[in-house]
Amino acid sequence: MDERQLTEILKADDVPVADENARKRAMNLALGAFDEAQRDKEKNRQGIGLLGRLIGRSNNRSGRRPMKKWHLVGGMATAMTVVLAVVTYDVAKDRGLRFEDSSEERKLGIIGSGKPASRPEAERDGGQVRSPGDRAPASGDKKSREIFAKDELQAKPDRRLKPSIARPSEPAPVQPPVAAILQSPPRHSGQGAASGALVERLQKRSSVTRKAVGQRKLRQADDASGRYYKDVGRDQFQQIAENEIKRVGDAPVSTFSVDVDTASYSFMRRQLNRGVLPQKNAIRVEELVNYFDYAYPLPASRERPFHASVSVTPSPWKKGNKLLHIGIKGYDVDADVKPRSNLVFLLDVSGSMNAPDKLPLMVNSLKLLLDTLKPDDTVAIVVYAGAAGTVLEPTKAAEKHKILAALDKLRAGGSTAGAAGIRQAYALAQGTFDKKAVNRVILATDGDFNVGITNREELKGFIERKRKTGIFLSVFGFGQGNLNDHLMQTLAQNGNGVAAHIDTLNEARKVLVEEASSTLFPIAKDVKLQVEFNPATVAEYRLIGYETRALKREDFKNDKVDAGDIGAGHTVTAIYEITPVKGGEPMIGASRYRSTESAKKPATKFGEEYAFLKIRYKLPDQDKSTLISTPVTVANEIESNAKGDAAVRSRETRWATAVAAFGQLLKGGKYTGAYSYDDVIALASTAKGDDPFGYRAEFINLVRLARSVSGRSGK
Amino acid sequence: MTEPVDENTLIKQAQSGDRAAFEALLRTYYDVIFRIAYKWCGDKADAEDITQNACIKLARSIDRFRFESTFLTWLYPLVINTAKDWVKRRVRNKTTNIDAVAEPAEAPTGDGKVFARQIMAYVRRLPEKEKEALYLVFSAGMSHREAATVMACKESTVSWYIHEARKKLQSFQAQECRYG
Repeated sequence: MDERQLTEILKADDVPVADENARKRAMNLALGAFDEAQRDKEKNRQGIGLLGRLIGRSNNRSGRRPMKKWHLVGGMATAMTVVLAVVTYDVAKDRGLRFEDSSEERKLGIIGSGKPASRPEAERDGGQVRSPGDRAPASGDKKSREIFAKDELQAKPDRRLKPSIARPSEPAPVQPPVAAILQSPPRHSGQGAASGALVERLQKRSSVTRKAVGQRKLRQADDASGRYYKDVGRDQFQQIAENEIKRVGDAPVSTFSVDVDTASYSFMRRQLNRGVLPQKNAIRVEELVNYFDYAYPLPASRERPFHASVSVTPSPWKKGNKLLHIGIKGYDVDADVKPRSNLVFLLDVSGSMNAPDKLPLMVNSLKLLLDTLKPDDTVAIVVYAGAAGTVLEPTKAAEKHKILAALDKLRAGGSTAGAAGIRQAYALAQGTFDKKAVNRVILATDGDFNVGITNREELKGFIERKRKTGIFLSVFGFGQGNLNDHLMQTLAQNGNGVAAHIDTLNEARKVLVEEASSTLFPIAKDVKLQVEFNPATVAEYRLIGYETRALKREDFKNDKVDAGDIGAGHTVTAIYEITPVKGGEPMIGASRYRSTESAKKPATKFGEEYAFLKIRYKLPDQDKSTLISTPVTVANEIESNAKGDAAVRSRETRWATAVAAFGQLLKGGKYTGAYSYDDVIALASTAKGDDPFGYRAEFINLVRLARSVSGRSGK
Repeated sequence: MTEPVDENTLIKQAQSGDRAAFEALLRTYYDVIFRIAYKWCGDKADAEDITQNACIKLARSIDRFRFESTFLTWLYPLVINTAKDWVKRRVRNKTTNIDAVAEPAEAPTGDGKVFARQIMAYVRRLPEKEKEALYLVFSAGMSHREAATVMACKESTVSWYIHEARKKLQSFQAQECRYG
């Protein structure tokens, strides 16, 4: 590339237009800074003038200064410094008391709205956690309150708030004197010349402080200006290659672990609502399908925690192929039988959480969860990535107000503190550990995982070890633009927990309230599926989704290999697309050198079978797995428009098929032939069912959105 | 309403405290700053933030402009430094691996505009010094010596940075063509 080309490219005009609001904001701030700079210049000039008047301006400008001047200047400076020190000391001490008052006041106004907290660059101990203080501000202290309130709006860099909860209420003897001092300036009462002078200096000081305060505010505004931190385009997803078509002759057995996460669906929904197609890597088809609840048959008895049903339907996108549906439904736990929960919330309060769809949403989501807890469940809160440490010691859910108070005091801000976020959380969980209860750490973040262990492998190992002691981990992602989805999934998997992505309060309600039992109560862990296909009846198969859950054949029986968990009330669906020997057109051509297996006729007793399904699972407190199995036969075939009992089953499989098709289309539709978004809509519309929460209707709208978005990009 | 004023006069007025003059200057240069910021970081929201910071910086340091070069030449390093600081601060606060940013799944084509975009994307990921040298010399049109003054290094160092950057671009280009 020659110089000319390089210059051209670097000068090229492919730059978007800046937001009008951003421009206005920048202009205002810059003009403000300009004014500030002018005032400083003015002040310097004035300052010299005042001193000059006091001392007597010397005509000697050549730089020689009579000693007299220095003495006076030095004296004044010292005096001012002393006064400043005294005032600051008093004020600071008083401020310690007053802090809660202003925060209380503001709390009454707007709760949880994003305040202009500083961006991570302001090296401040963010996550300002304050102890509860319900003292009403003393009357007549308007000026002091004003100053304090202004200081509220931007944190002083050296302000250090200890995030402890049990702070005894301090006596308030210091208030009156300071108040008196600060109040007297306007009055200028006859308090004697000395104190009058003191007061005047204080007045000047306070005006200077206010200016400094204003300037600090401006610098703060530098960074955030009341705007929310916007992360864009840094979402990380694991690269996954879609499952390929496998020849039964070559690889008759397929093994994978169950997955109940739903993060991919939320992410997809969020992207489509923004008008963009989600990244292909962000789509995990199994998570889209599993987002929905399916009316699969429940387990017959409590001995077996879940029931697996299978069905076979024709494939809508490839003539001759069939779809093999495996549906697993776990039993739900009765409210009165629910075990106790010991929860520790490990919350990200870094600066980037300062957006309406992050910290406030997180707080509100946790409040929703709180409502579902029983009185003797315990809750603790630990924060990281800003302040670090315990915000709330393990508290019984009965003392709701305490927990709510702690949640409301959470503020996003500050940068990494490092410290012991996750270790602390687990330590608390250990402290309240109860073998018969559910002990879980709930990590809520927007993508920052600087929980105190920086090495990823070490973090995974730590979570795994803790899992073995019975403390599980679930991960909830908030916001977008900074998600480390891959890490989220890995940690949740290692921690025997759910990874979900919460983008709206509705989703929070779904994950934390409706699905509270499944999110919190595992009924089976390390659930693995293995399907062996019958070469006499099936030529090829392809597992749709579960690419990140693939297991080796020998892992199935190996109890040491970790796998997914099923929570109370969960449904899990897995779909294989199969090419039957009869009537199907295999994609993989016949081998030239190897004799075709189908020439050999196996025993007729398997002639009716498509495949054999085996499932291994462990009960939550066991280490040895149990095996259940069922064949998939021609008898499991259902018509698309079956009637009667089979109608429900048929409808649910149709719905699952539609969602699976959509997922595959979003990933590029490599195997779905000419199937289009319209086809998905048509199929889904026949299978909506009751849809009490509107999730299915929402899905159909999402498909419509995807259709128009993809149409725009000319696909 | 506003008569066309010579830029230097405008700057002098702003330096002496004329608010309206400074505002006019800002209005003219906002887009320029934004363009520089965008070319550096490649993201609109980031560029807006950087531009905001740069405007504030400009307000505070406009007095330092000595009319020794064109205003743009003086402005360029100011914006780039703001951009660098901003990126550094942001990176420090996240442990995510910035190299692992998922790229949009776009097949490389030889088409002019797309090609330019790909080259720009690659340039943005170059090491900071090389990137800065490239920008100052090819985008701001400075000479190697001027760029050396800005970057506080020897002129030969600047030449070396440019040389390295172009070597990398060559190999990147070759790669693209192979798949294009």
